Amino acid sequence: MSKQAPNIVIFACNWDGLSCVEAASQAGYCYPASVKVVRVSCLSRIHQGLILKAFELGADGVILLGCEPGNCHFDIDAGLVTHEYENTRSILNLLGLGEERLVIAHLAHGDGYGFMKQVTGFITEVEQMQPAIPVKA
Amino acid sequence: MFDTEREIKDTKIHLCLDCGKCTVVCPVAQYEPEFTPRLIAQRRLRRDSSRPHDDTIWSCLNCYMCVERCNYHVKFPEFIQILRAEAFSEGVQPQCSHGGALQSLMHLMSLEELKQDRMGWLPQDIELSEPCDTIFFIGCAPYFDIIFGDLGVNTLAGIKGALRLLNRAQIPFTVLDNERCCGRDLLLQGDREGFLALARANMEEFARHGVKKIITNCPEGHYTLKVEYPAILGNAGIEVMHLTEVIAPLLQSGEMSLGRIEKTATYHDPCTLGRCSRIFDQPRQILGGLTGLEFVEMEESREKSLCCGASPWVNCGAVNREIQKQRLAQAEATGAEILVTTCPKCQIHLKCAQKRSDGKAPQIEIQDLAELAARALD
Repeated sequence: MSKQAPNIVIFACNWDGLSCVEAASQAGYCYPASVKVVRVSCLSRIHQGLILKAFELGADGVILLGCEPGNCHFDIDAGLVTHEYENTRSILNLLGLGEERLVIAHLAHGDGYGFMKQVTGFITEVEQMQPAIPVKA
Repeated sequence: MFDTEREIKDTKIHLCLDCGKCTVVCPVAQYEPEFTPRLIAQRRLRRDSSRPHDDTIWSCLNCYMCVERCNYHVKFPEFIQILRAEAFSEGVQPQCSHGGALQSLMHLMSLEELKQDRMGWLPQDIELSEPCDTIFFIGCAPYFDIIFGDLGVNTLAGIKGALRLLNRAQIPFTVLDNERCCGRDLLLQGDREGFLALARANMEEFARHGVKKIITNCPEGHYTLKVEYPAILGNAGIEVMHLTEVIAPLLQSGEMSLGRIEKTATYHDPCTLGRCSRIFDQPRQILGGLTGLEFVEMEESREKSLCCGASPWVNCGAVNREIQKQRLAQAEATGAEILVTTCPKCQIHLKCAQKRSDGKAPQIEIQDLAELAARALD
């Protein structure tokens, strides 16, 4: 029986984050269809509710993909999202699911290879985590 | 399991005289003229087709003030819960506060395979009795302190205080490291399926550990475990007591004593502990047991206590904020230094009003009763 690829949700910022996803697809890199990219205007748009909702709906892992420090399109930088990221990781620990299921990545504009490395590395890590989060019916 | 028409009948809503006394005492109606309990009842009972989904039903705080005033004790909050469950089953959902984080958290907590790691905060000095058929139900405090940490919320201080009080009272107990949220907020917002999942998971956990008695410091957890679980899942023969019901008699009889706290304090009756569970005296007896503490009542207290403006994590807005500021102003008017409560949600909502009102809301110190009482143990 073939092993099912884990469900990964990527919240990508519209600017450098999404450019990495586009660069990866233009370069012809492949990644499993179970990886879903959700475009957001800025990672500061992300809050605990959205991240936990992804897990509630069956995500095994979530990546927050944003700009490198100092490159934020809105000059907000990582302040807001860091707070939500840290809080959500603490909640995942309390739930016993593990904080490793949520990661944040800051990539340079158009870094398709970096994106691929991040995604495949994360999938390998999530595959080793037990138990997997069951998808709600 | 749920028979809507039968449930509506049980609320006695048909006895409504259309007198409007509920609207007069309703804290929401005071600030939101659209919200009138009697009209909501009329619209539903007449099946008003011009308004298939009555969006005012999400504003009710379930504070039970209307039941207190109603001559026939029509259970309007329970009627609202039925309407919300109806709406929810038709796909209509309220606007979730905090981005729906609490709702997702409750749904995640109902996963069968869940093995939580939620006891890292437990102090070394707390003595647990193993095995023991009495448990202390902690509730969602570990989660609240993370989600609302930026408000200065420390609900775990109340839990630690409660455990120290039980240790001092020499009452043997243990805690369950995989207890779930009681689910009351899902029930109140109409998500009965979500509530049932949590209720069943908790009841299975209780059965697995042979639990015979539950003590809790959370008014919502207390009412849900004591009243809602048996009503929906049948009576499992578990005795449920609020911490104040355990400690107050020991103070009254002299078997236990508390030390000195030189402060002035007032007490905020949480709606669920007061008007729902009728526990008014015990918290005041505990405050009375603190030597040196001057206790002052607020203008609206006991049965008439004003709600903290909390909702089941839905539809929190300007109306709720006004109610919270009004309650804080009542507390400030007493001249008290500390506003004592027993409900983590009251603490969260009142602290939120203090933090998010640009300093316009009274900045009185807010503390959990168990936390305050435990401070006087040394």
